Amino acid sequence: MQRNQLRFVIAKRQSIVVGLFFVLLFLIIIKFFLVQVVQHNYFEKKSVNNSIKLIPIAPSRGLIVDRNNKVLAVNKLIYNIEIDPNKKHDFDNIKTHLRSIIPISDADVEQYHRITKENYYSSTVPIKSNLSQHQVASFLARQYLVDQVSLVPRLERFYPFNEYSSHVVGYINRINKDDMDKLRRMDRLQLYKGTDHIGKTGVELMYENSIHGFPGFKKIEVDAKGNVIRTIESQEPEHGQTIQLTIDIDLQKIAIEAFQDQSGALIAMNPNNGEILAYVSQPDFNPNLFINGIDHKNWNKLNNDKSKPLLDRVIHGVYPPGSTLKPFVAMAALENNLRKPPYKMFDPGYFTMPNGSKTFRDWKREGHGEVDLVKALAVSCDTFFYSLGLELGIIKINNTLSNFGFGKVTGVDLLNEKKGLLANEEWKKNKKNKRWFAGETVITAIGQGYTQVTPIQLASATTKIAVFNGDNQPHLKLGRFLPLSKNAEKKEMSTSTDLMHYIRKGMEDVTAPGGTAAFLANDRYKIAAKTGTAQVFGLKGGEYIEDDLPDHLKDHALLIAYAPANRPQLVIAVVVEHGGSGGTTAGPIAKKVFDYYLKNYNND
Amino acid sequence: MINSLKYLRSEIDQTVLASLGIIIIVGLVTLYSADHNQSNQFISQIVNIVLGLIGLFVLSQTNPRVIFSYIPFIFIISIMLLIWVKFFGLESNGAQRWIDIGIIKFQPSEIIKFTAPLMLAWFYQKNEHNINISSHGIALMILSVPFYLILTQPDLGTALMISFSAFAIIFTAGLPRKLLIGGSFTLLIASPFIWHALEKYQQARILSLIDPFQDALGSGYQTIQSLIALGSGGMIGKGWMNSSQTQLNFLPEATTDFIFAVFSEEFGFIGVLAIMMVYIIFFMRLSFMASRMQDTFSRLATLGLIVSIFSGVIVNLGMISGLLPIVGAPLPFFSYGGTSMVVSLVSIGIIMSLYSHKSLIAN
Repeated sequence: MQRNQLRFVIAKRQSIVVGLFFVLLFLIIIKFFLVQVVQHNYFEKKSVNNSIKLIPIAPSRGLIVDRNNKVLAVNKLIYNIEIDPNKKHDFDNIKTHLRSIIPISDADVEQYHRITKENYYSSTVPIKSNLSQHQVASFLARQYLVDQVSLVPRLERFYPFNEYSSHVVGYINRINKDDMDKLRRMDRLQLYKGTDHIGKTGVELMYENSIHGFPGFKKIEVDAKGNVIRTIESQEPEHGQTIQLTIDIDLQKIAIEAFQDQSGALIAMNPNNGEILAYVSQPDFNPNLFINGIDHKNWNKLNNDKSKPLLDRVIHGVYPPGSTLKPFVAMAALENNLRKPPYKMFDPGYFTMPNGSKTFRDWKREGHGEVDLVKALAVSCDTFFYSLGLELGIIKINNTLSNFGFGKVTGVDLLNEKKGLLANEEWKKNKKNKRWFAGETVITAIGQGYTQVTPIQLASATTKIAVFNGDNQPHLKLGRFLPLSKNAEKKEMSTSTDLMHYIRKGMEDVTAPGGTAAFLANDRYKIAAKTGTAQVFGLKGGEYIEDDLPDHLKDHALLIAYAPANRPQLVIAVVVEHGGSGGTTAGPIAKKVFDYYLKNYNND
Repeated sequence: MINSLKYLRSEIDQTVLASLGIIIIVGLVTLYSADHNQSNQFISQIVNIVLGLIGLFVLSQTNPRVIFSYIPFIFIISIMLLIWVKFFGLESNGAQRWIDIGIIKFQPSEIIKFTAPLMLAWFYQKNEHNINISSHGIALMILSVPFYLILTQPDLGTALMISFSAFAIIFTAGLPRKLLIGGSFTLLIASPFIWHALEKYQQARILSLIDPFQDALGSGYQTIQSLIALGSGGMIGKGWMNSSQTQLNFLPEATTDFIFAVFSEEFGFIGVLAIMMVYIIFFMRLSFMASRMQDTFSRLATLGLIVSIFSGVIVNLGMISGLLPIVGAPLPFFSYGGTSMVVSLVSIGIIMSLYSHKSLIAN
């Protein structure tokens, strides 16, 4: 190549090379424009996400106390060793290393796996809960041996009264998928950031929103290593409210212990204001077992137990009322101008239908002789009510029973209360596709038949006898109470005081000599009561009624009572399952509760 | 004698010096913000600049014939330094790149970026009457020595960058078009084999260009953090000393390879455009100077040095804007780093010398 020719080539190619680089630079400027101007918002967000973290501060759960400020649910500071299951970790390796420091039982491991499996929410899961001080110390000293675990202080729920508060206070458990769906529907999910637990039953569930509180947050700036550079802003959580209950836990303990090994329910209320003082469902369970998810062994034990310890019999248990229904049926008669004293009738010990089709027997074969309405209640005369029921008819009976609150929820501040059942023609047609027999009205009048009530309905209805027109909506939260549902709206009793007087007299005579619960009489105060025996099988009068209830629900002993009779302060409804006849088992339980509650009462 | 003195008291090009001054000062201002850990990089960078400027002034006043005569010598020295670094070099980030001789630490691979093009220009000058296929072959062999030494440090980025300037020279020196097309074709065929020859981390870096978020905490991390810095800076930037990406250490190598990401975050696209304009003026002026030169050596050497600096700019900006894989490449005159700064300034001094003496060496 000649020198001049070379010079020409160099000059030409020089510009090509430099030109190429300018083109590349131009492309880079375009790329900068895309990133910095077009995609600015996207990267701006990424930049903020990089360095700004929002840390929720969970509120601590409100306490639950009884009317005397005895703590029923409290938060205990515990230390857990926790793992973040969302981060890559070698669980077996962690377990082995941890075991060299502190004991990790198979139950701990099982709990960890169970929580991890059901964990939809929390960030870290305990592998070892509630470390002793000694264990905390030895973990801290040798923490370096185990990566990916951290010592986490937690406020853990604790129920100091264990079984005694189980059904009414309920329990909390870890938030599961259903809870999350529910929270999302209620638009409350945001409030549970940083919270692992939620109320599942009882008051813990009912007042979840108040007990939970509002979470706070801390907005922090972190560097690339996660070190906190500064706190940008923070807001303290608003801790959950303390819920004070109407319950007197000491009274409740007395009631529970009175049950001994028997199954059943008891509810004690102040008839003047509707405050529930004792709320007992037996058998019960230890709510502390549930807090971090109950283990399989305990769950199977509780769930498969034939006596159903997890069933809250007070609002979820439905029973045939037996003779405890008689005062209300008697009221139905009086309201319809029937059987008003001095009306009397002779009881031969049986009642035959006017058409002679059936005969219904009294519980006392020889009969009670001359009976008026007051005596009929005192001796629990069946015959009196058979004829009365037939004359009134099912519509009028149910109408009055409904006014007393049967067949609908009482509106007590707990969820999923059962309505019980007031059966009638229409119900039987729909349910069984059979017509209603007059004989069914007859037995309804003595509390047999299809009628089903919950213990709380019995107690609530009794308060309406004990105190006229009182504001006695049953409730558990101390203080002003607003009815929960339209069903629970207070309905003015149309009954006049005069008419109610006869019912009260009858119930007072139950504990008088000759009454069915005469043994309840004592010097200090007068108890007004009505006993009941709920037989589902082998009905008096022999009419066989097919029923949905399982066999083991028969022969329940029931009692409704209030005292002192002249100035009622406490209403009690008791059901003792398989308790045999009348007040013999239910009576003494109620008596113990009255005795304790009225211990300072002087009969003047 | 008088004549030559007159030539020696040569002028320094105002445009080049002014644009260079702006770039260096903006670089220092950015470094002050990026070096928030107060590790005195700012002071030490000023020392680098002063040293580099002294080199620039001295060389601009040096007779190009003197420079020309020393080129094989300094090329051999720089090759020996590369060999030295191979055996006794300091390791950093998994690559041996540094030589530490007590008072200073430097990177021979930065030096070779400038001595290699000078050497090739020297070679073509020596053979300017007889440039043929075999002389291009010899030029390739000269290139292959430092290329191999740097590639095995391993430092693929620098190895490729010296190839750019070397190929630019070989191409400009008249590489026949057939060979050019044939070579490109061969490269295309060979690319799968080259891919397999790459280290795993190098492959990952190239793959992460396609989707950096694939491995956001691994190979894609640097690209992502750099893009976040650029993007969050937006049109007008977050303001000086106000870059969260940098101040909170999300951005890696904030004072060296990624310093322009800091600048972009703090001064936005407007700032980027302004600096780009200065770089463009700078390179256009240098290219103009190259085009006015008369002899083969001056033209090829100047072009080689321009390409060397320009490819540094392209590779660095391409890397921080996510167009090119992450390789260790400082932004010339901007990044913190003594070797790069001093050698870049010295090579500008050489171009100045060649330009101001163009008529002297024309014949």
